[in-house]
Amino acid sequence: MYGGGNVFEPMKVKELADEDPILLKEFQDRIDRGEKIEPTDWMPELYRKQLIRMIEQHAHSEIIGALPEGTWITRAPGFKRKMALMAKVQDEVGHAQLLYSAAETLGKPREAMIDDLINGRSKYSNIFNYPAFTWADSCFISWLVDAGAIVNQLANAKGSYGPYVRALDRICKEESFHLKYGHDCVASLAAGTPSQRKWMQEAIDRWWAPMMMFFGPSDKISVHSEILIKWKVKMASNDAMRQQFLDMYVPKIWELGFTIPDPLLRKNEEEDKWEITEPDWDEFKRVINGDGPCNKERLAVRRIAEERGKWVREAINRKSEKYMVPLA
Amino acid sequence: MESLDPRVNRMNLPSSFDEAMHKEEMDQLATYEVFLVPKEGKPLESVGPVHASEIEMAFVFGKEAYSRRFTCVAMAVCPTSSIFPSPVSEAGQSAYELLTDQAETEGDEQQYEVFHMNKRGKFHKHVGSLMAKGPLDALHQGKEAFPEETPQNVWVIPTSDFHFNSEEDSDLWATLPEKKYRDAIFYKAGDKIQKYKDSVNS
Repeated sequence: MYGGGNVFEPMKVKELADEDPILLKEFQDRIDRGEKIEPTDWMPELYRKQLIRMIEQHAHSEIIGALPEGTWITRAPGFKRKMALMAKVQDEVGHAQLLYSAAETLGKPREAMIDDLINGRSKYSNIFNYPAFTWADSCFISWLVDAGAIVNQLANAKGSYGPYVRALDRICKEESFHLKYGHDCVASLAAGTPSQRKWMQEAIDRWWAPMMMFFGPSDKISVHSEILIKWKVKMASNDAMRQQFLDMYVPKIWELGFTIPDPLLRKNEEEDKWEITEPDWDEFKRVINGDGPCNKERLAVRRIAEERGKWVREAINRKSEKYMVPLA
Repeated sequence: MESLDPRVNRMNLPSSFDEAMHKEEMDQLATYEVFLVPKEGKPLESVGPVHASEIEMAFVFGKEAYSRRFTCVAMAVCPTSSIFPSPVSEAGQSAYELLTDQAETEGDEQQYEVFHMNKRGKFHKHVGSLMAKGPLDALHQGKEAFPEETPQNVWVIPTSDFHFNSEEDSDLWATLPEKKYRDAIFYKAGDKIQKYKDSVNS
């Protein structure tokens, strides 16, 4: 699960003008022909750095995203829901493993990524810094947060980097179960008792604002973002993804008789565009920089898992077996 | 630290940490490549890497990571260090055309498994086995053995470096049909949506 809104901030790298023009042209031509880049190919430093950051944030989001949902495994209503939610959480953690491996092929060791996560230097999807108060919150995440992530991941699956594309191919297939499971959970509450409907409505009211922020602020048109689009690193604008999500899911939420807590929400049929209340981007920035309701807890859980798992890693590690960067 | 999550409360998290924790360098396990046969009659194909302390653990992790959700009839793992890759070619060009180093001429022959990535961005698929004196010899022989193919990347791997599941273990994958709750088609939200609509209309 991953939003991808906060990824494309500027970074310090070698200027494009300093890259070898011949290699750069070959690289661009290959992407223009629709071919994928493989790890042994030459690539500009900006491409490598942006991809590392993006894939790493995606991996962290899978790990951290498993926490608010994992909360509800033991309290999910009934055996089947417990089994299904456990399988979903296992999928998310598995996705993180695939993604960390894909990022490793670009030269950043997995330890460095985990180190950056637990020390707050690396970001993950902002939405997971909000708490899941009730079972209905977990249903919202399973259905709609995953739906948002799928919009993002299907776009990224058409990107230019081979190992990321291969990982996303598998991830997208697995996500289809999450979406159906989540929709089923929400529909069950919708068709349930007045209290169940009330819980679901309250969850929608709590999560709608973070959901709109999930895709990130409108992209600034800059040379930087243009080049990332040209290199097929960034596959769709944040606004385009938000619009696609609204198009697909607002009617489905309304179909279940729930309301959406945005008085300005309407489809402008003439422009074929959804109008929404501008999300509170100050809150977004505040939360992403560490000051959200759950940031501290999420990172503390990860850190403690690392600390308390150390003896296991030491016990099973055989020094004769050597780590090496995955090939593909 | 107080949490809404009873499991987190049982962890007794401190409200703050005195100092930063840093991962040690190379605090991770060795790298293995996982291959599986998705259906009877299909070739073995690469699915991705796992990190594990040794090859049998890599097999277990590989099974969990790559075969828990979709059909699978056989699996194999090998250390990533056993894979000898060719260069990656451009579209329309065979990776075999890019071999420059001479094949080994000395040494004992052993069996290699040959995998082709037919297109950039795709997975490597098994095309056959051959006897060779070394990995470069195996690549050169692959060029002779598969003249019709134009792979964009070739892997040759000594057969003896693989860990395969044995024939009698193939019921490992028979549990998949029992876990229908992991399939998208298990969920029929339509019935519930209809139930809701009926309740509104009645």
